[in-house]
Amino acid sequence: MKLGVVVQRYGLDINGGAELHARYVAEHVSAHAEVEVLTTCARDYVTWRNDLPAGEETLNGLTVRRFPVGRERDVERFGRLSTRVFTGRHSVQDELAWLDAEGPTSRALISHIARHQAAYDYFIFFSFRYYHAYHGIRAAASRALLVPTAERDGAIGLSVFGPVFRGVRALLYNSFEERAMIEAVSGNTGVPHVVVGVGSEVPAHTNPARFRQKYGITGPFVVYVGRIDENKGCRELFDFFQQYSRSLRSEVTLVLMGNSILPIPDDPRIRHLGFVSDQDKFDGIAASDALIMPSYFESLSMVALEAWALGKPVLANGRCDVLQGQCLRSDAGLFYESLAEFVETLGLLQSNRRFAAHMGDNGREYFRRHYAWPVIVRKYMDTLDRLKAEDQAGRPRAGLEPLPGWFARRRISLPPSEDVVATLRSGPVRSSERRP
Amino acid sequence: MAPEFVVRSESVDVEQIMKQIRQRIREKRGVDYTEDEIRELANVKLETFLDPSRVRSELLTYYRQAAAAPAGTLIPQAPPNYVFEDEMPYASSPGLGGRTIRLIRKLLNPLLKFFINPNPFIHVLNMQGQINAQNTRRIDHLLVAEQLNFEIIHNLVVEMTRLAIEVKNLKMRVESLSGRLDFTERRARALEAVVQYRPGSGPAAEGARSAAPAPGHGHPSRDSQPRRDSRPVREAQPAREAQRAREAPPAREAPPAREGEGQGGGVIKGEAQRARRRRRRRGGRGASDAPQAGGGPEGAEPKAEPLAVANGLNFDEPSGGERSQPDEGGREESAPPPAAAVPDEPTNQ
Repeated sequence: MKLGVVVQRYGLDINGGAELHARYVAEHVSAHAEVEVLTTCARDYVTWRNDLPAGEETLNGLTVRRFPVGRERDVERFGRLSTRVFTGRHSVQDELAWLDAEGPTSRALISHIARHQAAYDYFIFFSFRYYHAYHGIRAAASRALLVPTAERDGAIGLSVFGPVFRGVRALLYNSFEERAMIEAVSGNTGVPHVVVGVGSEVPAHTNPARFRQKYGITGPFVVYVGRIDENKGCRELFDFFQQYSRSLRSEVTLVLMGNSILPIPDDPRIRHLGFVSDQDKFDGIAASDALIMPSYFESLSMVALEAWALGKPVLANGRCDVLQGQCLRSDAGLFYESLAEFVETLGLLQSNRRFAAHMGDNGREYFRRHYAWPVIVRKYMDTLDRLKAEDQAGRPRAGLEPLPGWFARRRISLPPSEDVVATLRSGPVRSSERRP
Repeated sequence: MAPEFVVRSESVDVEQIMKQIRQRIREKRGVDYTEDEIRELANVKLETFLDPSRVRSELLTYYRQAAAAPAGTLIPQAPPNYVFEDEMPYASSPGLGGRTIRLIRKLLNPLLKFFINPNPFIHVLNMQGQINAQNTRRIDHLLVAEQLNFEIIHNLVVEMTRLAIEVKNLKMRVESLSGRLDFTERRARALEAVVQYRPGSGPAAEGARSAAPAPGHGHPSRDSQPRRDSRPVREAQPAREAQRAREAPPAREAPPAREGEGQGGGVIKGEAQRARRRRRRRGGRGASDAPQAGGGPEGAEPKAEPLAVANGLNFDEPSGGERSQPDEGGREESAPPPAAAVPDEPTNQ
């Protein structure tokens, strides 16, 4: 079986969520199928500048074909169109223009998929919201699987993506909340799907004492790993943590790992280590009491999974449906939606070591059961085998709905996508994937 | 009464724990309103205050617009003010033609004054220009003040809403405490009623004795203690006294009465009152043996007020495991392991 993994950027030094996800999947599935990566020459996800040479190269044993991006993103135009389609009444043509402005507009990549689709059994497209996925799926819908990596933002409410969600051969979701959201917005319940997520390369052994010695951390601490950004809920985290620390005279320290684009409070109980190596990251998580994940929007938090893999409980922002759902299903994390809940939950994790350890054990078990690589790869291969069997049986495929006609595309009749998203039901999915 | 926060570690159920945490927060804070909800409630109150039927029909709309609009945009901008000088009626364009016309006007000015006097007009227009400028400044100032007023009203209403919620919560708490006090009093009376007195003892007999005391025969306090069995008083007394001494806090124990102490009616009456008090206490303790008493172990103080430990979380550890002791705040003490003692943690990968 030959698979084409289609993703907007690809490289060993590219650590974006969906891109890393795609690389991990490609590398692990390659043990069971021939995998070729189809991507662009871009390295920067803001400009899509052609930083890497076009053509073929081999990375970690996989063939990677890079195609040039036709034009860099015009940030102002993209912002203008985003405002139009997210907050105002608009047309299908506006949405297509938005997609075009978002990029990466690599017609060469789409052309390759259209021309050589017979050479591949299936294409696995990553990230529904980009140009390559939308046009790539339209070019080869009968062989397209989609890993949407969708978040609850305006893009999910755009009408042009409905036919894509309904027209692909299968969907591989990151979480049950993502599935519920996409099913609600597109009505694609008939499309084969599976909730997979992604594994993580967690080391077999960690050395917490080395981490403590290296950074001079002696007392108990909780850790945040990721970009330190207001959009990730870090400002709220600082506020809550400082109030917790002052009101309870707690000895716990908040350790931050990652680049900061937000001023970090000058507080002896908050330590910023900057960008750290993977080894330091895993050792740090292993040395911590808990991982804090304050983000409001996540399609799947890999760092939370890594904490669970290392047997550490997670304290998550309960306003993120995905994180709350994972905490509930795993019984390995608590969540907060207010200062009072933050104080109670962090206090509970701090004060009852046995309880925290049991949550960590639950997390380890949850990761092993649902996110260990053999489980992930098996889900991918089962889905592909099922499609293969359908193809061999000659079962008819639904196909992709055509675009509206010239005039219909230009009719301003679509509601603001943010209004569409606001009508979608929110909240965690509790029952599925529950720890036994 | 805040429920005990119970987490059985061997079977962690996050949903249940979060429910308990939220329940605890609600009971500690009363009704659990977020900041946004308080603001929403405050807005509702503000609308009540600014009810269009009560105030001015357009005032509520006006305040809303004033709050939403940037300063100075609500009222249309006035045209720029003019400055009227004495020479302006004769002014013309600055070119040669203009200068010529101006000269002719000046020359003809005496002739004009035969028909009308332009000076008062010039003066009035000059004054009007100044008045306009002054009014513009005043309106700008009022607009700023109006926005501040709205802010103040809004903040006051928010604060009032917060206080109203707090008052409501405190009322609920007072009601709860009052209910518990009533219950305790009823319980005390009920226990007093079930005390069985030996024949010849009890309040009635004491009253009779205190009314006619036998000379030279004092009433040892222990004699007046109630008995629930029919054994001789002296037999059970040493053991009971010892038990009482162990159980009761010394500060609250009445001073022991001695044989032969207190001759005379007044003393005997006081002694009887003390005996009654002791009897009540013993009745309470003794009643704990009975199923309906519902108290703690015999002689134990009443169960501590849960709200006093509400800040902390008590956890039931698995049986046989270490049970960490809650500190004063109810929070369990937990010493973090020293850095060097943290072992490498293998993963299952």
